Formats: sequence, C-alpha cells, structure tokens
Amino acid sequence: MVTLHVLFETGDPERVIEFDPADAPFQDDGEPGSILDVLLGHHVPLEHACGGHCACTTCHVIIKVGENNITESEESEEDMLDKAPGLTPTSRLGCQSVIEGGDITVLIPKYTINQQV
Amino acid sequence: MSHSEIYEAVIEHIVERAPDTRSFFLRPPADQHLTFKPGQFLSFQLPGDAKTLTRAYTIASNPEDAGPLEICLNLVPNGPGSRYLFTRRVGDLLSFTGPWGAFVLEQAPQAESIFIADGTGIAALRPMIQRALHCSPQFPLHLVYGTGREEGLLYREDIEKWGKECPVFTWTYLVSDPTENWSGLRGSLLEQVKRRYVQQDENRTRHFYICGIGKLVLQLRDLLRKAGYERRAVKYEKW
Repeated sequence: MVTLHVLFETGDPERVIEFDPADAPFQDDGEPGSILDVLLGHHVPLEHACGGHCACTTCHVIIKVGENNITESEESEEDMLDKAPGLTPTSRLGCQSVIEGGDITVLIPKYTINQQV
Repeated sequence: MSHSEIYEAVIEHIVERAPDTRSFFLRPPADQHLTFKPGQFLSFQLPGDAKTLTRAYTIASNPEDAGPLEICLNLVPNGPGSRYLFTRRVGDLLSFTGPWGAFVLEQAPQAESIFIADGTGIAALRPMIQRALHCSPQFPLHLVYGTGREEGLLYREDIEKWGKECPVFTWTYLVSDPTENWSGLRGSLLEQVKRRYVQQDENRTRHFYICGIGKLVLQLRDLLRKAGYERRAVKYEKW
C-alpha cells in the first residue's frame, strides 16, 4: 500500500489517501497510477484542462516528500513544465508522474496557468 | 475544483469538412467575452456514460474574427468525447473553460519557420500562420501538411489564398495513402521532414511548430532536436 499526503496551498485541510498501485487506473484521465489518476479516483479534485494529455500545466504539483517514489519525467513533461508558474526543482505534472510505491507528500499550488491575453 | 470561468456556448452551425471531420462554430453568450491567443485550446466538460469527461479542442478560428469560435475534430471510433460531439446539433449548448495552453504564436517569427501539421493538427496551426502573416513577416514561412487521404486535407482554400497573397508563405501537401487521382507528393511526414530539413542542408536556424495526434509529433521533435536544432526552436503540441 502507498500513502499519499495531499497539501493545499489554498489552506484547505490535508487529505490522506491509501491505495494499492496495482489497482490503477482509478479513472480515465492521465497516466494510469499517476498523481492525477489517484487524486481524481479518490475524489480529490485537481485541474487538468487538457484531459491529462501533457498538453497544459494545470495539473502542476510540487513533490514535498518521496520524489524517488515516482517515475522519472520524460522530455515532453519537462518541455511543458518550463511553462508552469511557480516552477520548483521538484515540480511535476500530476498527469504524467506515476507513483511506484512508498510514502509521498504533494503540494497543490494555489494557481494554475491560464494563458489568457 | 475549477477556478476558471465556465462558458456556455450555443452551436451556431456545423460544417462537414471531410469524411468524419467536422467544424463546430460556437457562440458564447454576449456577456461572456473570450479572448485567446492563436494556438490555444478550450477544455470541454462533456457527459460520459458514468462521469463527466474533460476533452480539449484547439480553437481553429482567429482571435481577430468577430464570428463564432471554431473547433475542428474528427470522429474517433472509440473516443467518447468526439462520439458525443458528433451527435450534437445546431442550437445545442456546450460548456467549456479556457482558453488554455502555451503552444501559441503571437507575432511573426524572427527566423525561417516551418509549420508541420499532421491531420487535424492544422486546426492549431491555422490561426498561428494567419497571425504571422498579419504581422508583416520578414522570414520565409512554410507549411508541411500531411494526411492519410487527400480528402483529409482541410482548409486548402485558406492555405492556397495565403500563398497567393503573401510571397513569404509556401506550402507542401503530403498524402501517405492517396487515391489514383492525387498528383501531389506522396509519403510520410517524418521522411519528408528528414529529407528537407535534416539531410538537404546544414542550416539549423529554423524554427518549427508541430501539431498532430500521437507518437509522430514526438518522433518529429526528436528528429529535429537530435539533428542540431535548438530545443526551444522546436515547439510542438501532441494530442
């Protein structure tokens, strides 16, 4: 079992999700077993304007604990993250980062990018 | 938890652009003004069998157009989003948020630029090219547009009009599986790009804007970056 702690920059109360990665996918959006998949499948909302296809940065999350328990990012995710507001060294896209095991803590930033003119 | 304004637009008209390919023209309410950049997309909330689906569709019209917003998509046999949209009729309402996305072009590029469209990927590139053409481009602009069958080449009237009106703009159509009536180029987009922009010369100053569906987009990205083009000069959007 994996324990995923979810912190919210908005100040909303922390959520704790326990799940078995072998049960993924938990719903249809994002990579199976990704942070987005786990959150949506456990009724924790996370914006994902492109539907979880690595075509926007609205599911940007910051890994606080357990970075090594998540699959490494690929070039497409890095290209997209370049455009994320508030980028940090442990920033990931929720739709692409698949949880492999162990304990993880993620922070959901307050703002997502909406490139309005 | 969406922090975005939800638009509810009426389908003003529908155009059959090719077999199983339709444009939907959407008119948001007058009090909901939506501004966007060429290349951006809208995120639709569509009813699915068990839950609401989130589906993104690029805006194929121009920000300067006074008319309705156009989205252009093809019917994906096992795709619940496109299957739902293809049952919609004029007068129906669609809900979406946006605009979203950072694959945009706001001014004429400051280098020779190649736009590579695979199938309905032309929808994103159409407003980008038009914006570039309206900004007095100083460098050549070329569109390489590939499809399976020639009837899948969309917006040909627009593309050929741009070429007549603007000498810096040229285009190449490429059909991988043409009928016997097709007299243009045949073959794969990947091979054409490799031949023309990797093998034919040593110029690595070009900029690329690639849009399409599936792995081909990433193959094109990798081909060009590995050939020596700057990482940030190869921009792409993969659906």
